[in-house]
Amino acid sequence: MPSTDRRRFLTSAVLGGSAVAGATALGSLAPETAFAAPRIDLEPGARDPNFAEGRITAISGSLLKVSGSDKALHRIYVTHGTSIWKLRPTTFDEIKVGDGLYARGVKMPDGALAADAVWVNIVNLDAAITAIDSGRLHLDHHGNKVVGHVVNGTTAAVYNHTPAISDLSGLQVGKHVKVIGAWRPDTNEVDIATVYAGI
Amino acid sequence: MGCSNSGAPAYGEMSWFCCGAAWGPCGSAGGGACGTCNSSSHQCAWPNASDACFNITRPDQCGEGLARRTCGHVFYVTSRCSGSCVSVSIADCGPDTNSFCGERTCCGSACASNRLIDLTPSAYSAIASLSTGLSPVRIDS
Repeated sequence: MPSTDRRRFLTSAVLGGSAVAGATALGSLAPETAFAAPRIDLEPGARDPNFAEGRITAISGSLLKVSGSDKALHRIYVTHGTSIWKLRPTTFDEIKVGDGLYARGVKMPDGALAADAVWVNIVNLDAAITAIDSGRLHLDHHGNKVVGHVVNGTTAAVYNHTPAISDLSGLQVGKHVKVIGAWRPDTNEVDIATVYAGI
Repeated sequence: MGCSNSGAPAYGEMSWFCCGAAWGPCGSAGGGACGTCNSSSHQCAWPNASDACFNITRPDQCGEGLARRTCGHVFYVTSRCSGSCVSVSIADCGPDTNSFCGERTCCGSACASNRLIDLTPSAYSAIASLSTGLSPVRIDS
């Protein structure tokens, strides 16, 4: 779906009142289509009106009420066209009060955001591996300890530019890695989606 | 200048980072080396933003001769996966390029080596999905 059509679809989905849907039916479109626009015209350094971040304080139907880290309040509509990520591509029913999120979409006339994509609890950690034990990577993230949990069937490793594989045996203590994962709210623990490591 | 039309673009990997007020492990990120960094703004981190910054990131050790560009400088970053472009201003030092020398990321036949730029989540998500983590880009000044 072209980006402009997708935006029109998202807007009409919200304005038409069809945003509320069976939870498991949401999040069906590929996120790549949200990034097909040739150019984003926004002043460099400016705050992006089509982006929101923060923690979910309430869920009402398909509306997420979010308290921004800067204390701004956001209302984010999830529609049939919204792609949802929480450790993996997933569905609306996986989103919980207390989760953190980043969202991108279309600002509605009433100030709410109709979401193209929502990334729930996503973290991107540049860290050093300090220890490896059964099912866990112990990480030093800028001086803070973070425990990374290996999730069977989900966690993958990318060694340089190799395809993602489930074999984590190439990870080494002392090496730097990048971890894409999902934060476990109010802890120093994450579930690992992908760990990028050199070879 | 603007997207994909400068005379001497740089090609490399981009990733994203959080800064400013934030939740989760990002909560202690702060305002970055320039003191103005915010995850909701279109900003970036650049490895050669100052002498002190360069001494940490050392892109030269990966064979990257990146120009000195300081706080507020504007780059145009084009995803080689989607073709989308975003303009960003420098707000922090990074990425730690020399920790990942030789790392390579591909998107189809478009490949790039070495981490040259980190974008805030708002900027990165304008041209790529945050779940990708790394992506090949062209950087114009």
